[in-house]
Amino acid sequence: MNHDTWQRLKSDPYGMTGLIVVAVFLLIAIFVWSGLLGQGWSDSTGGQYEGIGASHWFGTNLLGQDILQRTLFGTATAFEVGLTVTICSTVLGSIMGGLAGWYAHGWLDEMILWLKGVLDSIPFYLFAAAVAFALQGSPWAMHLAMIVTFWTTTARIIRGEVMRIKEREFIEAARAIGLPGLKTMFRHVLPNTYHILLVQGTIVFVAAINTEVILSFLGLGIKDGVSWGLMLAESSQEVLGGHFGNFIASGTALFILLMGFNLLADALQDAMDTRGSLT
Amino acid sequence: MKVPALKVDDLSVWFDTGSGRIPIVDGISFSINPGDATGLVGESGSGKTMTANAILGLLPGAGMAASANAIEINGKDISGLSATAMRAVLGRDIAMVFQQPATALDPVFTIGQQIDAVYRRHLGGSKSEVRQATLDALDSVGFSQAEDIASAYPHQLSGGMRQLSMIAMAMVCKPAVVIADEPTTALDNSTRTLILQQLKNLQSRHQTAILFISHDLSVVSQICRDVMVMYCGRLVETTDCESLFSHARHPYSAGLLSCIPQISDKRPAPISSIPGQIPNATALPPGCHFAARCNRCEPHCLESVPKLDFENGRGAACFRPL
Repeated sequence: MNHDTWQRLKSDPYGMTGLIVVAVFLLIAIFVWSGLLGQGWSDSTGGQYEGIGASHWFGTNLLGQDILQRTLFGTATAFEVGLTVTICSTVLGSIMGGLAGWYAHGWLDEMILWLKGVLDSIPFYLFAAAVAFALQGSPWAMHLAMIVTFWTTTARIIRGEVMRIKEREFIEAARAIGLPGLKTMFRHVLPNTYHILLVQGTIVFVAAINTEVILSFLGLGIKDGVSWGLMLAESSQEVLGGHFGNFIASGTALFILLMGFNLLADALQDAMDTRGSLT
Repeated sequence: MKVPALKVDDLSVWFDTGSGRIPIVDGISFSINPGDATGLVGESGSGKTMTANAILGLLPGAGMAASANAIEINGKDISGLSATAMRAVLGRDIAMVFQQPATALDPVFTIGQQIDAVYRRHLGGSKSEVRQATLDALDSVGFSQAEDIASAYPHQLSGGMRQLSMIAMAMVCKPAVVIADEPTTALDNSTRTLILQQLKNLQSRHQTAILFISHDLSVVSQICRDVMVMYCGRLVETTDCESLFSHARHPYSAGLLSCIPQISDKRPAPISSIPGQIPNATALPPGCHFAARCNRCEPHCLESVPKLDFENGRGAACFRPL
């Protein structure tokens, strides 16, 4: 990201709000990972369904576990899933999209498009359930299911962008100084798609967190630990009995984080859109 | 006799279609000595850029093919080299300066990073040696603050500065030959003069041979000693600039010269142009390609192709030269 982009982002109040929200949640996640926060998520420290109070700010659940601790720990889970899925599917998507675009209309392009078409045609939750079943309770089943389905969108966008960029004169110039074709693609074409990857990455991040919640709710997600999705799944039974602690804590945290990410994604898109400012 | 820096022997480029070959460049031969600059002029579509691309082995698109008896750089034939061997030559022995400096530089890397990459690829060296070569190259095209330019992104520079950076990039490995494809067309007049001056400096300092492609005879006359006039893929006249301006032998060259508007205090003459149009490349006439537009045309001209006929080192492909 260059200086001008940062300046434009800084002058966008919505974007900055989003950035601060995301940063605060990331900080919480880092504290959880380093063992400073949320470590008591599985300890029964109180009675069943305690209300909001000084010792348990958001109350406790059925087993007397502190809901605040569980919400904080869920933040780390959300970031763990979001980051893993975003990084892997963006790397995979940009390589596949890059190859498809560089060899557009060739056999490799056909293969990649075919693979993409197949993956896109499978209903996602069915696919995730199949992967989870095939891997028999592996903690990575959910990540894998998301990575192999999420890369296709990134690949489609990158393919089109690569086809556009490869016709530009600096690619011809790279050939004229003796750079081999595929190296040109990785050195000069893909780096020119970074603004798209960054924006697409934030969108994938939001989708990953969202999907984790839904999959965990369905029992296909997090196996070891706690996530906002698991808390929402618990709350679906509890709200009928008038216990709103899990529902409010995890729902609010999820809503604020996703809102922050969406604001950031929008602002990034505007800040990095250099079309028209390049002469 | 000196070994020419660039020697092209019988270069042809054509486009293959289902119904046959469309010639784009039709058997042209020339050579440029070290330290000389030769202009290649002609109208748009006459095959100038394709000549450059064919020399570099970089023909765009499918269906295009080229052949040549020889393309020699300092006596070494590069026409039969494999793609891998050719990549070692490109940028080191022969380099190109493009027409649009705005788009020929990668927008996401600094000028320095891009010039570094060329030097590192061909000559290698430690990080500081590579950067020193880059700064020397930027310095040699007249930038007084080479380090500032090296750390700038292309969009932070003006068109002229970008083109000077392109020239620095082309010169960083001190190649024997530089092909400049209309390097000043996108620039204003004063910048153009500056660019031409820097090209001239570099040429005399490193004894680089320059093939200068342009449609602008006045620009060519500023930098080149010799000039080749191209029409429909053929060289119609090769001569030195002075003789071309004082006494063009081919009617097409004479026509081009008369198209340059004259400023005088007399009542302005109407701006002249060459009558007719460039013939369609898919249906070229069998004889002289210029015959249909030529006021000296004879029946003979429509039937057979005139060869470049040399007289005191000046060649014209015409049966009835002026």
